Amino acid sequence: MMSKPAESRTRITGDLIVLVLLAAFIVFYCVDTILASRDILNLILVLPLSVAAFALCFAQFLIGLRESRARSPAGGQRQPRPADAPELAGQDQEASLANIARVVGLFAAYVLTLPWLGFDVGTCLFLGAFLRIHGERRLFRLISYSVGFGFLMAFFFSRMLPYPMPMLLLGAA
Amino acid sequence: MLEVESILGALDMLFSSPLPWLIVIPGLLIGLVFGAIPGLQISMAMAVFLPITLYLDFMLAMLFLTAIFTGGAFGGSIPAILMNIPGTSSAIATTFDGYPMSRRGEHNIALGVALGASCIGVILGYAILFLLISPISEFVLKVGPAEMTAIALWGVTVIGALSSERLLKGVISGLAGLLIATIGFSEAGVARGTFGSAYLVDGIPVIPAMIGMFAASELFRLVGLKYLVAEDAARRVSIRQVFAGFRRSLARPWTVLRGSLIGVFVGAVPGVGSSVANLLSYTAAKRSAEDPDSFGQGNSEGVIASESANSTAEAGSIATLLALGIPGGAATAVMLGAFAMHNITGGPQFIREETDVVYAIIIANFGQAVLLIGLGLLVVPLLAHVVKVPMGYLVPSVLVLVTFGSFGLTGDLTGPITVLVFSMIGWAFRRYGYSVPAAVVGLLLGNMTESSLIYSYQISGGQWSYLLERPIAVLILGLLFTSLLGKRVIGLLLRKAGA
Repeated sequence: MMSKPAESRTRITGDLIVLVLLAAFIVFYCVDTILASRDILNLILVLPLSVAAFALCFAQFLIGLRESRARSPAGGQRQPRPADAPELAGQDQEASLANIARVVGLFAAYVLTLPWLGFDVGTCLFLGAFLRIHGERRLFRLISYSVGFGFLMAFFFSRMLPYPMPMLLLGAA
Repeated sequence: MLEVESILGALDMLFSSPLPWLIVIPGLLIGLVFGAIPGLQISMAMAVFLPITLYLDFMLAMLFLTAIFTGGAFGGSIPAILMNIPGTSSAIATTFDGYPMSRRGEHNIALGVALGASCIGVILGYAILFLLISPISEFVLKVGPAEMTAIALWGVTVIGALSSERLLKGVISGLAGLLIATIGFSEAGVARGTFGSAYLVDGIPVIPAMIGMFAASELFRLVGLKYLVAEDAARRVSIRQVFAGFRRSLARPWTVLRGSLIGVFVGAVPGVGSSVANLLSYTAAKRSAEDPDSFGQGNSEGVIASESANSTAEAGSIATLLALGIPGGAATAVMLGAFAMHNITGGPQFIREETDVVYAIIIANFGQAVLLIGLGLLVVPLLAHVVKVPMGYLVPSVLVLVTFGSFGLTGDLTGPITVLVFSMIGWAFRRYGYSVPAAVVGLLLGNMTESSLIYSYQISGGQWSYLLERPIAVLILGLLFTSLLGKRVIGLLLRKAGA
């Protein structure tokens, strides 16, 4: 468990990283657009929006720096909760960063392996792994739900959608 | 002007046999189901069932398709309230207060409120259409690309300013959404921001991106919870409370009427439609409320404002379709397909020559709204059981659902991968106080904004003075700056006067 000052520092750093990434994307996209073509039809929206968005990112960066200084112990102030994240106190109770990272990793593995495992087997494995990680110890329930729901969804969507879906078992049936 | 003879003809068409009403019920149910499943769109439902309408006469075909539209408009609010997933892009503002109500255990009331506001909204919307179809079509003709650009920019910035604790972060989110939406091939015929990937040439798939930012990112936050609603007693499904919610929407006639007016007129503008109407109505309700700070915390008036506008936007988009033959969005584009299948062209001539059919479609929608009340009251309590599902099961099941749904939207793995990427972006946005709704609205409107701006440039020949000839665009831009800076400028002036 992190101490409150450490947690606040992490959050401020994360906030600034997100802002810098956003600004970097804006600059990259603007430059890429200009390099692609200097035709006014190509730049008419992207250029003014990029300039405005970058200027706002810069302003927000300065505000963030000023606030982080004001919040630091050297600034002589107590460490309030960031005003721009009113729901964060509750959020930390809901899911820790490690827990979120596990779920994101599992979801990414599910999505990225779909071409090989197919929607049928991939979904069953994803559901089974998720339930197991989140404390489901009743093996019968775990397997029956994963397989039942996974195959039901795969079957329903494969019948509903007008294009072929990657399947490992249902496609062969 | 109302034409009594045509109205009598329309009533005869509708009530001389039970067939029109027998067609409406399955249409409403199909719309409810497709609207309630994230990833399945109303337009998809209409496209799937469009071939059936070939065997129906034109009026019955339109009744069936508008019933899907009506059912879907309400259906989209169900996952928005229960899971913070807008089933359709027009239910974005419903999540702002509907979901906090659910988290407080007021899911029954929120669903009842949404049902009431949707049904009354449909009735009011079509009543407005019934009386004003000609002025509405004239209004639509006055809305050119300059006005559409102004409306889109207004929608994005206002929602950014309202849905984030920080004005700057909200506006940055909206602008980032607009920029991301323009990735891919431009009107100049060159690819931008694609990183050389062929998958990005057509741009970012907007609906999967929306699902990722809204739904998946929220699910990541909820993995540590046992249930969506913490208290055992609050997880109860109560038809009485659904009724109470329904009655609550009746007690706010002004909010519903304002939402309906916004819905009809904004919905009538092609390309803008219900995606913006619900946000503008929400904004108007928040601004005029006595306790604006309670919006976003679970104020049922927010749900009423959003739902009354998005259901009425349907009437607006149908007005444009009937009066001008222009589809306002994907769903009305499918309806245009039904027009083509029956060799009918919408427009002033259609309204003049087939006035009784136009009135029959409008009157049938009053009936649809009444039927939706009954069907909704039957279906909603069943769907409210979602809050009883443990989060350990709900989170992976919904992630699976959005993965399948996003594949359905793109036809390849671009959809699920987009959901994955944007779920992470959405999570970071939520965590650090950026506005997810503003980014999503930017994504939805980005392409339209750029096209409208290009058309304005081409029409004006690059002359700024052209803007002065477009008073509606100037008014909207004025509203944009007032809503962004008005409070601050007035505060500054007052402080100076005080000093």
